[in-house]
Amino acid sequence: MSLGDYLRILRAKRGGITPWEIEAATNLPRGLYRLMEQRYRAVGDDESIHALADFYGVPFEELRWRLDWPRKALSQALAAALAQGDPITLYLSTGQVVKGKVCWWDLGAVGVDTGDEGLVVVQRHAVERWEPRADLAADTP
Amino acid sequence: MSENLWALREQKRMSVAALANRTGLPVSLIMEYESGQRSIDPRHLSRLARALYVEEADIKLQSDPRPSPTPSEQPPGPEGQPTPKTRGKAARAKAAPKPPAPPRPSQLAHLEILLQKLGRSTAELEAELGKPLAELDRSAVSHLLGQLQAELAKRSAATARRRPYLPESVDEFEARYLTAAQEAGDLLHFTLFDGSRLAGRVIGFGPYTITLRAEDGSEVTINKLAIVTYRKAAPATKENSS
Repeated sequence: MSLGDYLRILRAKRGGITPWEIEAATNLPRGLYRLMEQRYRAVGDDESIHALADFYGVPFEELRWRLDWPRKALSQALAAALAQGDPITLYLSTGQVVKGKVCWWDLGAVGVDTGDEGLVVVQRHAVERWEPRADLAADTP
Repeated sequence: MSENLWALREQKRMSVAALANRTGLPVSLIMEYESGQRSIDPRHLSRLARALYVEEADIKLQSDPRPSPTPSEQPPGPEGQPTPKTRGKAARAKAAPKPPAPPRPSQLAHLEILLQKLGRSTAELEAELGKPLAELDRSAVSHLLGQLQAELAKRSAATARRRPYLPESVDEFEARYLTAAQEAGDLLHFTLFDGSRLAGRVIGFGPYTITLRAEDGSEVTINKLAIVTYRKAAPATKENSS
């Protein structure tokens, strides 16, 4: 799960406190929190993540590693896997692992042909990590 | 000696409206008095005299109609020139075709930039045109700019970096899958975040929810955020073995 998705869950658990209230409580620059939640690309640095980890009372690392797995990176990996016909392995937040060829993907879900079980539809917000990662230096969409 | 009402009013440089305002009489009534259509009511005479700063005896009770001005009396334009209306018509009638305007400096600068981008020199273009750029008029340069811009756009399109199509802003693929499953009446198995499992046939779905009818006939709507994965029922032989 990307940092943005995870922050959204944490905020929901806090009773839906607004981004502006969080920015005021953590002294983050105005508008940064909203970008961290909503942007598909990775937004934020260690300093801002430290502030948010303190605010939510979660370990810094719990947030930090997610910064390297943004939604955009998953899109790139899915696009590459679909174009090349290579299998992809999705590690889900429930501990499940889904491996197969990408048949389609979009905003919310990925259709993976797992072979034995047929086509499994994986919700994107359940994907924590994936393998292989797309070459980020390549033609960035 | 008494005077016409209109003459007295004009002497005092007062408009009919101003006089009506000062006397409290209607404009139409004053105009009737001035035109002689009606003789001034004695009750109004004192008011008119006060408003015009004259004696009552100075105002003629029945005004003579104002003489209408003859065409020769109409004031000519300044220094006997024709009025703007006639001047415009005359000008249009006499207008000779304008000589072609020279190109604007901004056009020439734009031309240079476009030639630079296209990797062409001014000399090449002049040779192509058969005459120096300085001899072109404004409209010819404008036409030439259009041509060069089109050429540049064509080249840019050919060398443009092509980005891969990323369907990350649409949800049509999942929607297609669910539509097909709904139409076929497929049984879908859902795994939820809380570890529970659900099975049912899709009877409706939206961007955020999927509504199922379970085998026992009950209906349940699942929020997509609660779903981890779902799939169609495995083939019968595999389902039996699992």
